[in-house]
Formats: sequence, C-alpha cells, structure tokens
Amino acid sequence: MGARAHQADRGGVTSSQHGHPDGEPGAPGPAAEPGNEKEPDARFTLANERTFLAWNRTALALVVAGLGIVQLLPPFPGVPWGRHALGVPLIVLGAVVSVTAYAEWRQNQTALRRRTPMPQSVLPRILVVTITGVAALSAVVLLVSAAR
Amino acid sequence: MALPDDPEDLSPGAAAERTRLAWQRTAIAFGAVGLVMLREEPAAGLLVLVATPLIWLLGRYVSSAAPPQQRSRRLLLVTVAVTGVAAVAVVAAFIGHGLTRFR
Repeated sequence: MGARAHQADRGGVTSSQHGHPDGEPGAPGPAAEPGNEKEPDARFTLANERTFLAWNRTALALVVAGLGIVQLLPPFPGVPWGRHALGVPLIVLGAVVSVTAYAEWRQNQTALRRRTPMPQSVLPRILVVTITGVAALSAVVLLVSAAR
Repeated sequence: MALPDDPEDLSPGAAAERTRLAWQRTAIAFGAVGLVMLREEPAAGLLVLVATPLIWLLGRYVSSAAPPQQRSRRLLLVTVAVTGVAAVAVVAAFIGHGLTRFR
C-alpha cells in the first residue's frame, strides 16, 4: 500500500465522489497513510459489497455444479473416479472463490478509504485456471471411458 | 437541465436498491443449493435452507450508515456460510450417498 502513496493524487476511484477532499485546504498531500483514511462515498461501499455478493453467487454455483456432477450424474463406464475427479475440484474452487472474495472486499474497502488505486483481482485468474483444468480433465475422463 | 457527471446523482437510492436486490439473489442462490442438496442429503439440504432467510434478513438491513465493523462482520458471515456449504458438499461427495455409488 505504501508504495502506491505517490499515485494517490491521480486516484484509483473514478466518477464523482461526494466529500472528496481534493479542494479542501490543509489536505493537499497523498491520502495513503492510515491516518488519512476516510469513509468513502456510500455508493462505492455498496458497489464493493455487490461485487463481493456476485462472487459468492458464483461460488455457490460452482459448489452446486460440483455436487451435481458427483451425485446426480450416472457413473462414467470404466472410470469409477471420474465424477469425483471432476466435481470435487469445482466444490473446492467454490470455497476458494468465497474466501478470496472476502479478502479482496477488505482490500478494496481499504483502498477506497485511502483513495489509493484499487488492487487488481486475482479471482478471474483462479477461475480461468481451474475451469480450464476441469474442462481438460473431463475430456480425459470421456476419452478414457470411451476407450474401455 | 444539465445531467450530472454521474447518472447515479439523479437517484441516489438506486445503489442501495441494487445492493438489496443483490442480497436477495444471493439468498435465492442459497435456497437453490439447499433444494439440490435436499435430494441426496436431506439433513445438509435443510441446514442450507435454514441459511436462506438468514441471508435475506442480512440484506434487508443494508444501511450505508452502518459502522464499517458491522458491515465487515456481515460479509464475513456470508463467506463462512458459503465455505460451510462447500465443506458439507465435499463431505457429502465422499462419505454421503455418493460413496455407495462409488463403484
């Protein structure tokens, strides 16, 4: 956070912001120090909260998809571990997404309060890597199942 | 009349409303997961269904005036609930009815 202090003036948040201290006398410097924290505009707080909730719905969808694969799908012929190999990673990914979303919500809230740039989210990368892996694995399971 | 820089300025209540709706969608997602679980794991399904009205109620008290500490705790509760559902799902996948079909 401290390394970003000099960027604070350019601002990580866009749009109009009520109570922005830019024009206030006596507060010309960067706002990145913890002492200069200030509650952001309620709309930014609410938007951050909605982002968190959206990631948690994604997490729930992953859990239910994994559970559906394990419990509702008929077993792959010749591949007894197939359903678990595909479903369990999705369920675990759901838990990881939810916990990461909370950590990022906190980071974003801190960035808003200090008026520093918003940290980049790692969630899209986690999601892409795991879903690609599961897709590749399902191709393997299907091929192995067809070969037997 | 000139439009404000941010269309949100026309109706500041819209952001709060969108957030309330997001909480309701999240609660509905919990309900859907609970119903799916009910099919194979009735006990776990009921447990998740109990969380549904809880999340809904959490969303009803979205107040931008709430102290930061309180907001943080409320979101932590959502994460704990989702992680708990995932844990139950993993257990159900391995030692629940899933195991008897593991052949």
